[in-house]
Amino acid sequence: MIRTVLTALGLVVVLALTLACFGVAVGPGLLLLTEGAFGDKFAIARTLVKATPLLLTALGMTVAWKTGVYNIGGEGQYIVGAVFAAAIGKLLLPTSPGPIWTVLMLIAAILGGAGYASLAGWLYVRRGVEIVISTILLNFIAIQILGWAVEGPLKEKAGQVPQTDSIPDAAMLIKFDRQMDLHAGVVLALLAAVAVYLLMYRTRLGFLMRVTGDNRRAARANQIPADRLQVVAMAISGGLCGLAGGVQYLGIVGRLGTTFPEQWGFLGIPVALLGGLHPLGVIPAAVYFGALFAGSDQLSRFTPAGTSLVYVIQAVAVLGFVAMSTVKWRRRKPDGRTESNS
Amino acid sequence: MNLLAGFLSADAGEIRLGSTPIPQGDPIACRQLGIEMIHQHFMLVPAFTVEENLALNRLPNLHSSLRISNLIQTSLTAAKGLDWEVANDSRARDLPVGAQQKLEILKALGGDARVLIFDEPTAVLSPTEVTELFTVLRRLRDAGAVVILIAHKLSEVFAVADRVTVLRRGEFIGTALITEITSEKLARWMVGEFPPAQDIPTQELGPPVVQADGISVIGDQGQLAVRDVSFEIRAGEIVGFGGVEGNGQDELAEALACLRPAAGALTLPVHRHRIGYIPQDRQADGLALGLSIEENLLIKGVDRAELVRRGWLQLRAIHRWAATLVEKFAVKAESARSLAGSLSGGNQQKVVVARELDANPELLVVVNPTRGLDIRSTQFVHDSIRQAAAAGTAVALFSTDLDELRALASTTYFLSRGELLTGNSAETYLGAKA
Repeated sequence: MIRTVLTALGLVVVLALTLACFGVAVGPGLLLLTEGAFGDKFAIARTLVKATPLLLTALGMTVAWKTGVYNIGGEGQYIVGAVFAAAIGKLLLPTSPGPIWTVLMLIAAILGGAGYASLAGWLYVRRGVEIVISTILLNFIAIQILGWAVEGPLKEKAGQVPQTDSIPDAAMLIKFDRQMDLHAGVVLALLAAVAVYLLMYRTRLGFLMRVTGDNRRAARANQIPADRLQVVAMAISGGLCGLAGGVQYLGIVGRLGTTFPEQWGFLGIPVALLGGLHPLGVIPAAVYFGALFAGSDQLSRFTPAGTSLVYVIQAVAVLGFVAMSTVKWRRRKPDGRTESNS
Repeated sequence: MNLLAGFLSADAGEIRLGSTPIPQGDPIACRQLGIEMIHQHFMLVPAFTVEENLALNRLPNLHSSLRISNLIQTSLTAAKGLDWEVANDSRARDLPVGAQQKLEILKALGGDARVLIFDEPTAVLSPTEVTELFTVLRRLRDAGAVVILIAHKLSEVFAVADRVTVLRRGEFIGTALITEITSEKLARWMVGEFPPAQDIPTQELGPPVVQADGISVIGDQGQLAVRDVSFEIRAGEIVGFGGVEGNGQDELAEALACLRPAAGALTLPVHRHRIGYIPQDRQADGLALGLSIEENLLIKGVDRAELVRRGWLQLRAIHRWAATLVEKFAVKAESARSLAGSLSGGNQQKVVVARELDANPELLVVVNPTRGLDIRSTQFVHDSIRQAAAAGTAVALFSTDLDELRALASTTYFLSRGELLTGNSAETYLGAKA
């Protein structure tokens, strides 16, 4: 509890310092940010729309990292998920669009991301290829796949621009209000958070995954199939990132082009860390960064500081977080090692 | 010896080479004085070639140009003198263990070495390689160098040494010329008073749980760690495996715990999860320190129907069950939900013991279960193991502590170079065949 309050306070301080560094008056700057993020229902909608893909990718990172596989490939899985959804969309074209489209396309997105991530997981347990490296490289490949898809098989009918055709409105995620971007994806993301929580903390599978993540050697010494669990964790992680791609595609953009990647896959990592790698902890973390993105739009209208502010704040927050956990770790270790009294 | 070679600093006292005090905690300065150490765990860069590894200790500084061929001249001459073939371009990791050992020795001979320290060099070598190594040691001595050999085996000491000094638990026991000491006396120096065999109350033993018939196990470095051993452990029996560390105990224990493949006929309980394993390193292999005590207990408890139903954890039942275990095994913790990493070593061990015994295993493999524990925890762990055996568990107890083996095991084997010896004497313990 105290830690949460301290973290929140720390984030405000970081925010204020960053604003000062950007040469923005701190008081009015904070006010503009808050207004842009929570000022009215439109602002809140903007915040939630930005928080949605962040939450999903951060959940993906949480599952993988908690199982000891450091998935850095959220971005690639996000892209591949969207491409799979678009491919299914193309296949469905002869039928009349409806909610069944949405469901099928989202399932395709999940499977696409899951498959793409499992590839890295499989390479790790079978061939010992470090997850960090393989997933980073798979990110680049994913961008190429997207480029190839929108130039080739998924190119729009008009054939002018390298992009897919727009998804019919009937197949898009439901919007709550015509004037706002807020779509049903936010509900999906929240449900996903609860599902991941239940998986990790209430099921045998999630429990064994956490044991593997905390101490792989001990897991193996206890006959826990660590390899298989880590592949499963990668699949779930990739599925969540793929879903994020599908949700962004079917909730906001409606068509894929080479500008589709917006780094949500990467941004999920700091959000997951800030959320303490806990499926419920990442909800406020995602909202916080969603609010920063929404608020910084407003800020850039009145001051020289813009969206880049968000990245700076993210970086500082993550560095701070890492520094803090190192201190904690150092303090814990000698205590854990004392072999004295029982 | 790490002090002598400058890898550690002494808290008090000094060491002199001739009349110069040896600089402490400065391996480079020690090397310049002509002190070289050949470590038990090789100090090679696996991805480097033989030449590059030879040059490692000879680097003049960090900024001048690097001419490896010049730096390794002395080593190569030494190799020629010993009639050793050196495959200059192979990478160290591709060499067999014996060749890596040679490389390590050549590395040490690359300077003007006056004192050579060999830390248990024979542990990973085959018998022929050992003979060859001893020839080299004699030649080095004849060339005027001081050779210090750290060894655990009587046969090696008598084969090659001129003078022997015994240290036990950090204390000086005695020193003598090899011609003036018998192997019996030396063994007594090394082991101390050999504890008399105690009467282990024999109970009705059940059917054999483990049957090993000529099994061999390969170690991490590719060496044959366990050679063709046979034994059996019956239900309710505690069988001890002793001997000097590094003679195949770890590998055999892992084979029994189903964690390492074994060649030969090895019969174990059919269900893997009926094998309990209390590893030597509780922090690396036993516990997930970042999880709670309760969760660490649950690692084995997940197979219990009342704790996990259809894949879902039954939290209330788990809390109750974990609290009972914590109390039964007297784990001192704020609650069962405290982190395992926050416990003292003794209590961490109790968590491991509680977890493994609660699963009521058919076979329990235990490795140095009381290392680093105080007397009370030790007693507790011993009692727990005895109770498990009394309840019909077959126990394989691996320990380097003779008193522990005597106190618990009804039969004790000693491992020497991966072979099993029986008998009740200090010489057996040290690996000389009685």
